[in-house]
Amino acid sequence: MKVRIRRFDGQKEWWQDYEVDAKPSDTVLDILNRIREKHDHTLAFRQSCQMGSCGSCGMVINGLPALACQTRISELKTESIRLEPLYNYKVIKDLVVDLTDFVNKHRSVKPWMIRKNPQELEEAPMEFKVTPDQNLTFVQFDYCIMCGLCLAACPTVAIDPLFLGPQALAQAYRYIADPRDEGFEERIEILDDSHGVWRCHFAGACSYVCPKGVDPAKAIQYLKKEVLKYRLLHKKKVSVKPAELIQKPPPANAPKPPPFDFKIEGGE
Amino acid sequence: MEKEKEEKRYKSGLLRSLWPYKFNLERYTYTLHRITGVILILYLIAHVFEIYHIALGPVAWQQTMALLSSLGIWEKIGLWIIAGSALYHGANGLRLILNEAFGMLLGKPVLPEYPYTPTSLSRNQKIAIYTIVVIVVALWIWAGIYLLWGLGII
Amino acid sequence: METLDYDVAIVGTGLAGLRTAIEVLRRDKGRLGLRVAVISKLYLMRSHSVSAEGGTSAVLYPEEGDSFELMAWDTIKGSDFLADQDAVWRFVHLATQEIRLIERWGVPWNRRDDGRIEQRWFGGLSFPRATYAQDKTGFFEMRALYDTLLKYENWDRFDENFVTSIVIENNEFKGFTAIDLKTGNFRYFRAKAGVIATGGAGQLYRITSMAASSTGDGYGLAYNAGLPLKDMEFVQFHPTGLVPRGILITEAARGEGAYLINKDGERFMKKYAPSKMELAPRDIVSRAIMKEIMEGRGIYDDNSGLYHVWLDMRHLGKEKIEERLPFIREIGLKYLGIDIVDQPLPIRPTVHYNMGGIHVDIDGKVLNANGSPVKGLWAAGEAACVSIHGSNRLGSNGTNECLVYGYIVGNDVYNYIEKERPALPNPSQNILLAEEDRIFGKILGKESGGEDVYQIKDELKDTMEKYVHVYRTGSDLEKAVIKIKELKERYKYIKLSDKSRIFNYNLEHALELGFMLDIAEVIARGALLRTESRGAHARLDYPNRDDANWLKHTIALKGAEGPLFSYIPVKITMWKPVARVY
Repeated sequence: MKVRIRRFDGQKEWWQDYEVDAKPSDTVLDILNRIREKHDHTLAFRQSCQMGSCGSCGMVINGLPALACQTRISELKTESIRLEPLYNYKVIKDLVVDLTDFVNKHRSVKPWMIRKNPQELEEAPMEFKVTPDQNLTFVQFDYCIMCGLCLAACPTVAIDPLFLGPQALAQAYRYIADPRDEGFEERIEILDDSHGVWRCHFAGACSYVCPKGVDPAKAIQYLKKEVLKYRLLHKKKVSVKPAELIQKPPPANAPKPPPFDFKIEGGE
Repeated sequence: MEKEKEEKRYKSGLLRSLWPYKFNLERYTYTLHRITGVILILYLIAHVFEIYHIALGPVAWQQTMALLSSLGIWEKIGLWIIAGSALYHGANGLRLILNEAFGMLLGKPVLPEYPYTPTSLSRNQKIAIYTIVVIVVALWIWAGIYLLWGLGII
Repeated sequence: METLDYDVAIVGTGLAGLRTAIEVLRRDKGRLGLRVAVISKLYLMRSHSVSAEGGTSAVLYPEEGDSFELMAWDTIKGSDFLADQDAVWRFVHLATQEIRLIERWGVPWNRRDDGRIEQRWFGGLSFPRATYAQDKTGFFEMRALYDTLLKYENWDRFDENFVTSIVIENNEFKGFTAIDLKTGNFRYFRAKAGVIATGGAGQLYRITSMAASSTGDGYGLAYNAGLPLKDMEFVQFHPTGLVPRGILITEAARGEGAYLINKDGERFMKKYAPSKMELAPRDIVSRAIMKEIMEGRGIYDDNSGLYHVWLDMRHLGKEKIEERLPFIREIGLKYLGIDIVDQPLPIRPTVHYNMGGIHVDIDGKVLNANGSPVKGLWAAGEAACVSIHGSNRLGSNGTNECLVYGYIVGNDVYNYIEKERPALPNPSQNILLAEEDRIFGKILGKESGGEDVYQIKDELKDTMEKYVHVYRTGSDLEKAVIKIKELKERYKYIKLSDKSRIFNYNLEHALELGFMLDIAEVIARGALLRTESRGAHARLDYPNRDDANWLKHTIALKGAEGPLFSYIPVKITMWKPVARVY
């Protein structure tokens, strides 16, 4: 298996070729580890969980951004692999890119739960009442592992460095669509902006490469609809209330532990 | 300053963003939408400039018409390309309005199921795109035949 | 060398680390202007807590039959009576409020039809009390905590800073030294209070469910600073790990009703735990699987050369799998091409959790060799051992320990800074310069020697996998101890090929290997000395539990020639030990 990696050491860039043996059930991350351990100790790449839930190992494999720990050799259907760092990011070394802009853009859309009464987020005697159907309206967008592949695929990010990016906008929609959140007015200034939601022209490449099926393109189009509804029709969302505390004695046939052998200090 | 910052990002920039190799169908439609948009803006400027010559009197207008006729077949080909651009840009624009302002053809939010085919790029969307392509291509060919008939070739 | 001044420095950003940071900032609300430094050797959302899958248990429905006594009894019996019972009692009361609080912060728990939170069965529980979020519970909890942390202002994040030592002088915590991987600079974090929440050490073994970054740095840091480690020989083997990679197949699969089947097609758990069957605690199920394999009823896998048994979920039906176990289906399809709706999965025990850790008291304060607290240092989460889990952790008890102890430690840190108003510490410069020289002079700059870091790591992993596994014997453990000593000798002669300062993963792996070798020695020797079988520590030559001699915790301190062991008693305040059958 021939592997061609784009190297960068702070000053110069070059392509380097390696020759490793690989089984069809190996993933690209296995091959990278083998290269680092046996052929070249200076290769730098990120990895952590090796099972597709942390998002560290994002890189461009044969022209498409993908997670290295999830891409099997048998899927690539080719005799040679070409690895590059993610597009549209600054490269620090080899396949390691700088994610500072990515993190800052995410933070600027206020991706946290906002309630009109902030005390409700501090003490919680009971949970909010959310039915399973209401759960479905936003939970798909909560699967985001922040791997950065969507910004590598988005053509608008390539042109405009100030564009918020599909990840930040999808996370803004995740909180706006959440029935428990009440913070639409606080976020709308950042979103309803020429570098915000309106820069996206639905190329859909972000959804195409997303490794967890978050579908940020769908989130952004729904977000545009919400912003238009708010600006033109002044419609506001209704949020849910907390559940009631039920005080009932336990049933008689409940499982019981054995009686205490000792006296509890200040017991229940 | 802005250009310097962009150059340091890996494989970024305007030309790279328009190259949709290996990506999905919607990215191809995005690229075509951008290119036809540029063609239409250039045509708009040229058209306004051409029509302006009417205000300068009949002589200026005759000169402009003669200039255009001297291009010969290239004028017709240029008009044909502009006609195709307008047809495609308009039809795709209608699809985008449906997607963005009304949230149609996108599919509902669902629990992601492996393998993750996103619903915004799935069946309904693809039917819409292919319908647009078929209609646009048909009308374009008709426009082409009309122009050739005007030239006297057929 | 850069010096950075902070009030609180938190190393490790999993569930426990982030929850501590939020608690300190939440209590403060800007009054004292506390500044918190969150330090991690990865990016903030990449910690291994995102892979936690099954659930988080808490008592939410006392009106349906659950109770705090029942949860405490389940935890203590599951720990094989080695847990400190006063700590468990406090823990079960605080877990309830944590679940409800993080629900407010955005965790999308699975719900019943009327809108209240749903719970399910899990291993070793006598009431279905594991709260879950579509079998990616740890991930959603991490998302909610990270998003909530972004709300506050007075904290700085230090991603990809590898902490190399704790500076302790005169029983007082004086800061952390770290390397900034992005530039290669040596940094000193001067902080009034420090929290260690670095997680476990699964990478010591070849087949593990833990990330490549779980190398036990917290344990190594404390051990090298002269602080005691507690109960390190108890390593939990999760029974269902995918063959051959060891990827976790959550216990929730068994909670929803999956069967464990051996070569003859029978559900062999009825021989080992007749009343709970597959939902017995993890150590019992792991031992059952290994016994079936050792007695020849396992199935051989040609690709990897390992024996395994089957986990059968075909009878659950497609809808239930889609709704409750979608990530398991994805893992089966992604790595083996097996769809669990039609075929069973091959599984084998895999290393999953370390019950042992840094010796702390009930409030999370780190204790020194004499048993008194170190001034200004705390530990939380898997890195700490309060001993809530004793010798075996029940499923769904790990994530709530992190959250509860994040809450307790955050409050304790804030109270300490508010009451005592400590000043910024001033260590002697010799310690810092010696540490810088150790890393850059002795390890990075060394030109002599010929050992390869990755070669030693391979041999360490194979040694631990072969000799210190589910079933241990005295002779195997002695071989392990000898081999680890030999590897430690060879470690002194390693030479790095990558001499650059930017993102030198070679240097990071060499430092991690140093920590791993120390911990491996503590585990192997502790296991050799404990001549009984209790919880996750099972010995073929001493197959019974010995409460008369061994109802005590193991304490390991760094000595000149290796770890020195002593023992402290277990706190029994509610139930005396009884026979543990399920």
